[in-house]
Amino acid sequence: MANVEISAVRKSYGALEVVHGVDIDIKDGEFVILVGPSGCGKSTLLRMIAGLEEISDGAVSIGGRVVNNLTPKERNIAMVFQNYALYPQMTVAQNMGFSLEISGKSKAEISSKVNSTAEILGLTPLLERKPSQLSGGQRQRVAMGRAIVRDPAVFLFDEPLSNLDANLRVQMRAEIKALHQRLGTTIVYVTHDQIEAMTMADRIVVLRGGVVEQMGTPMDLYDSPANMFVAGFLGSPSMNFLKGRLAADGSPGLTLEDGSEVKLQHSPQGTSNQAIVLGIRPQDIAVDPVNGTPAVIKVMEPTGADTHVLVELAGQDLVAVLPPRLKTTVGETIPLSFASPNVHFFDAASEANIPCDPKSEHDQ
Amino acid sequence: MFKLNLFQSARSQALILLIPAFGVYTLFAIWPLIDVVILSFQEWNGISADRKWVGWENYNYIFNNDPVFWVSLKNTVIWTILSIVFPPLVGLLLAIGLNQKLFGRASLRAIYYLPVIIAPIAVATMWRWMYDPFFGLFTQILTDMGLGFLARDWLGDRNIALYSMFVAYVWQHVGFSMVLFLAGLQGVQSTLIDAARIDGASRFEIFRYVTLPALSPTITIVLVLSTISSLRAFDIVYGMTGGGPAQSTQMLAMWAFTQSMQIFDFGRGSAVSVVLLVITLAIVIPYMRWSQAREEAVK
Ligand SMILES: Nc1ncnc2c1ncn2[C@@H]1O[C@H](COP(=O)(O)OP(=O)(O)OP(=O)(O)O)[C@@H](O)[C@H]1O
Ligand SMILES: [Mg+2]
Repeated sequence: MANVEISAVRKSYGALEVVHGVDIDIKDGEFVILVGPSGCGKSTLLRMIAGLEEISDGAVSIGGRVVNNLTPKERNIAMVFQNYALYPQMTVAQNMGFSLEISGKSKAEISSKVNSTAEILGLTPLLERKPSQLSGGQRQRVAMGRAIVRDPAVFLFDEPLSNLDANLRVQMRAEIKALHQRLGTTIVYVTHDQIEAMTMADRIVVLRGGVVEQMGTPMDLYDSPANMFVAGFLGSPSMNFLKGRLAADGSPGLTLEDGSEVKLQHSPQGTSNQAIVLGIRPQDIAVDPVNGTPAVIKVMEPTGADTHVLVELAGQDLVAVLPPRLKTTVGETIPLSFASPNVHFFDAASEANIPCDPKSEHDQ
Repeated sequence: MFKLNLFQSARSQALILLIPAFGVYTLFAIWPLIDVVILSFQEWNGISADRKWVGWENYNYIFNNDPVFWVSLKNTVIWTILSIVFPPLVGLLLAIGLNQKLFGRASLRAIYYLPVIIAPIAVATMWRWMYDPFFGLFTQILTDMGLGFLARDWLGDRNIALYSMFVAYVWQHVGFSMVLFLAGLQGVQSTLIDAARIDGASRFEIFRYVTLPALSPTITIVLVLSTISSLRAFDIVYGMTGGGPAQSTQMLAMWAFTQSMQIFDFGRGSAVSVVLLVITLAIVIPYMRWSQAREEAVK
């Protein structure tokens, strides 16, 4: 077990720099998830930790030891790949025991480790099968078994669940989390799926374009996103962004492009008339016949527990999660209230979060 | 009704496309094959109108009264064994080398492949010149290096002529195996190599446990094609030695040709061809069966 320290790490392919100085401090036993859109450099960063990719600049240390020039083997890490990467000609048992075998461990030791790991993962009846005779979920479990058998200091996962169907993904998510609790080994896990990040991580690192946008616990990022990117990335359905100007009289409210007014519970620090973006999660929008701003319904999606309603307000599309069995239909207007305590404000130009004005809360 | 017509037209289109090729194929490949088998039971000088039925007489002759047949058979066996070892092995090594990110590797690939596209008879002529005991390149180089005593009559010495010829054959054929192996190496999954590196495998172990298993379909194809091409080696013998000196480089394909076209005994020539055909099938069919079964076991 070990901590992982990534300091000022950069990666260039020729003249093209794809990771621009990343600092992440991962504590011993922590489950850290790197999340971000496709091409943001998640895999590259993980592969630099693994030793599969050269580190162009900066340092990676594992357990206090700089590993820049060590081979993957010497780093004492194990990695699980998206496409499982099982050796097709070997049985499940041989796949799991491969690393032990080439490091010269005895037959007895290998088989005892393989058997006990297979027991944990429920692979015992499959040990003599070839990978081609397994389902996707079973293959992924073997890949994890192969990593666990080695008892490494750090587990690295690169989108391990992307090839599985939705149900299996939910199940495996729980299994991986349980495994982490059982083994207590440091995990660095890459995904582009924000739900995986929210549900499993001790700490999330949001990457975009090769830089860290924000890191923190899932609820930290959910409750106080540093910018519009992080705000829009986490949470489902994603956060709505409503462009407007602060009310001229300084009262908590937003004037939209078409002149309509949106009442708010509080306002951000800033000057009146300033162009800002209001961020509000679909769950925080409510129907309010008294103070609501009328919006036109474009699409209604009942999910059973609630209704996802796509509305248009001053030329901008918003999604609201409203109670089930709404007595209204597409094309009608619905009065919506945005006066939730959980709204966020962002600067229209820099997209950075603007803190709430503490004074404005007393106005209520 | 209408749908049926559509299906029928797709099928008739396939037939229209295939029938001409099938006709040509029957006329120039299948019929000659059958005719050679028939001819091997007949006596014919290639000109006369009647072909006399002689039963097993031709086979009886080549097995019992034709020492050259046995020499050719022995040479063919040696040649085939050498050919399924060396060109594929050298081709594999070249392919592995040229699969690395290497400056100028595209040009190098082209250069190594070049001999494959040269007509075999031109290769034979070229190497015959290089092997010339007085003016040839090899003798020249050895003399210039002060190693003149090593120079031989490369194609004139019956102890080494077969092997001299084989060197030319390797030169012409490695490119072919190399290209097939290069294509096979493209199919080796890079994450599998990554996984093996993480597991702590050395370069050799990666080759042994990842690359080689992934190449096994390619290896089958290369070995089958090498066997077939070595068994039918003809042009190179014809162009370099004509089977000499003293039949020391005689091989079955060449001997079948000589019997038929030079001695004008088409019956015996055909019998030799049939023996060659049987040997080829006897090697290739079981090997393909075996490797297919093995691949299915993996899949
Ligand atoms: N070998 C390479 N040569 C050049 N550029 C590369 C190479 N590998 C990756 N890149 C670039 O580096 C950037 C980051 O790639 P990376 O694979 O880390 O993305 P990712 O975040 O894992 O994306 P995904 O979610 O699609 O897997 C991409 O823009 C990619 O085009
Ligand atoms: Mg990736």
